[in-house]
Amino acid sequence: MPPIIEVDHISKNYSVFRKKEGFKGALQSLFKREYNTVEAVKDISFSIEPGEFVAFLGPNGAGKTTTLKMLSGLIFPSVGTAKVLGYTPWERQDQFRRQFSLVMGQKNQLWWDLPASDSFELHREIYNIPNQQFRQTLGQLTELLGVKDLTRQAVRELSLGERMKMELIAALLHRPRLLLLDEPTIGLDVVAQVTIQKCLREYHERNKVTVLLTSHYMRDVEALCRRVIVIAHGKLIYDGELSGIRDKFGQEKLLKIEFQADQPPPDLSQYGQVGTIEGPTVELRVERPKVAEVLSNILARHTIADVSVQDPPLEQLIARVFEEGGPST
Amino acid sequence: MQDHSVPIDINSANPVQNKTRYFRLLARLGTFTLIRELSFRGNFLVKVIVEVLWLAILLAFYETVFARTSVVASWSKQDYMFFVGCFFALNGVIETLFLENCNEFSNLVRTGDLDFLLLKPIDEQFLITCRRVDWSVSPNIIMGFCIMGVSLWNKGWEFDALRVAMFGITFTCGVAIAYSFMLVLTSCSVWLVRNQSLMEMWWLFSSLARYPREIYQRGWAQSLDIVFTYILPILLVVNVPSRVMMKAMQPEMIAFILVATVVSLSLSRWFFLKALRSYRSASS
Repeated sequence: MPPIIEVDHISKNYSVFRKKEGFKGALQSLFKREYNTVEAVKDISFSIEPGEFVAFLGPNGAGKTTTLKMLSGLIFPSVGTAKVLGYTPWERQDQFRRQFSLVMGQKNQLWWDLPASDSFELHREIYNIPNQQFRQTLGQLTELLGVKDLTRQAVRELSLGERMKMELIAALLHRPRLLLLDEPTIGLDVVAQVTIQKCLREYHERNKVTVLLTSHYMRDVEALCRRVIVIAHGKLIYDGELSGIRDKFGQEKLLKIEFQADQPPPDLSQYGQVGTIEGPTVELRVERPKVAEVLSNILARHTIADVSVQDPPLEQLIARVFEEGGPST
Repeated sequence: MQDHSVPIDINSANPVQNKTRYFRLLARLGTFTLIRELSFRGNFLVKVIVEVLWLAILLAFYETVFARTSVVASWSKQDYMFFVGCFFALNGVIETLFLENCNEFSNLVRTGDLDFLLLKPIDEQFLITCRRVDWSVSPNIIMGFCIMGVSLWNKGWEFDALRVAMFGITFTCGVAIAYSFMLVLTSCSVWLVRNQSLMEMWWLFSSLARYPREIYQRGWAQSLDIVFTYILPILLVVNVPSRVMMKAMQPEMIAFILVATVVSLSLSRWFFLKALRSYRSASS
C-alpha cells in the first residue's frame, strides 16, 4: 500500500512587509516598501504510512501549521512536491478534499449562532453523505464524545471543550481517511483533554484512519503517538519512535535522592546539575554514562534513605530538543 | 462502532442528485441564514424598514420629478418607473445573495477563516459568494417586481411572451454581469487583505447602473457611455432588460449582453481562481 503522505524536499518562503517605525516610516512605505523573506519551512521530507498516528512537534513558529496547510492544499509550497492520498494537495480536487479533515484547535468552523446539528446537516449536504449513514455516524460520534444532548444548543453557548468535541464530530462525519489535527486540545481542561484523547485513540483503533497531530501537550503525544516528527526553525530534526527521542536527545538521567540527614550536602553540584530541593530530597541531572559513578561516589560519602533513577519528563526533553535543534536524521 | 475506513464516494451517488446538489445546498444555506436572522429579529426588522423607507423616498422623488415633466431622457413616467423597479429587483437579488458574502471575504482572508471554506469538496466560488443569504434586503426584489407590474399596468401593456422571455434572459444576464464585477472586486481582498473600498466601488457601480443610458449621450459624457457599455458593461445591466419590456427590442443589444455575460463570468472566475492561488492563509 502506498504511503498516505509523501513529502519530498518541500520548502515554503513568505515575503513579509517590514514596517518602518513612526509616521515618517508609514509615509515612506506608501511609496517604497521593504520586504523580508521568511523561510517558514526548509527542505522537509517525510512519509506517513496508512493507519499511522504521528505527532508533529515543534516550538511556536517552527513551521508545523504551515506544513499542515500545504498538506491540506490551502497554500502552495515555494519548492518541492507532496502527494497526499495520491493527490497533489494544492490542486484541491474534490475527490481529495472529500477524504481528509483538518481540525484547528484555535479556529471554529461551525456556524456560531446556530446549533451544531445545523452545521452537521450542512456538512452532510456538502459531502453528499447518505442520510441513513449520516444519522448512524452522528449517533456514534455524539455518544463516544458524550455530547448527545448538546447538539441542539447554539455553538456560541457551548464551552470550549464542548465546542471542540463538536468540531471533531464535524471533521469525522464524512469518514475521512486522513485526519490532520492542529492543536486540538489547546486551552482545554485536563478532563476535556483526556476525553478527546480517548475518542481519538478509540476512533483510530477502530477505523485505522491515518492521523497527523500537532500539539504542545506532551500528554496528548504520549497517549496517542508512537512516531514523532520534530521540526524547529523550519527544519526537520527528528523522525522516529517516540521512545527514540530519549535515546537520541536524552543524554541525562534524573537522580532523585533522599538523604538521611535533614538537609542535603552542599557540594552536590560537582556531580551534576542540581534541580529542585525539598527538605532532604534533591533532584540531580547527571550525564547518562556517569550515573553509576556518581551514585557510588555519593553512596560512599553520604547516608542515603532512598534513591531513584528516572528519565527526565518528555516535556523537558522536547523543550531541550527545540532549544538545541539537532542533527537531521 | 461501524468501520469508517471507507470514505464516501460521490460518484456512487445519483448523478441527478449531484447536479441538483448546489440548489439543495443553496436552499439549505438560505434556511439557516433565515433562522439566524430571525433569532436577532430586532436587527432584522430595522434592516427591512430601512430598505422599504429608502424605496419610498426614491419613489416620492421620481413622482416629484414627473409632476413637472412628462419625459426624462426620452423615458416616460411609466417606462422610467419600470426602469426603477427593474434596478431595485436586480440590486435586491445581488444584495440578497452575494453582497454580504463578498463584503465579508476580506475578513475571511485577514483572519484565516477562509481556510475552512477552501477545504470543502465543493466549488470555492459558490461557497464563498453564496454562503449567506441576506434576507433583510430580499423585500427589495418583491418591491421591485411590484413596481414593474404597476408600471406595466398603468401603461396598459399588452402581454407579449417573447418580451417576457427576453426580459427573463436579459435580467439574468444583468445579475450575472453585476455579480462578475463584484467577484473581481472581492478577489482583490486576497492581495489587499483589508478591502473596505468594496462597498464604495459597489455604490459607484449601482449609481451608474441606476440611470438610463440616454443621460450619458451628450457631450463629454458620451465617453462614459462607451466605456461603461462596451468595456465595463455596467450600463447594460438594467438598461437592456428594461428596454426589452418598455421600448423597441434591439436584437444586437440582446446579443451583446449575452456575449458580455459569458465574457464577464469567465474573466471574473479566472481572476478569482488566480487570487485564490495567491492566498497565504493567516497565521494560526
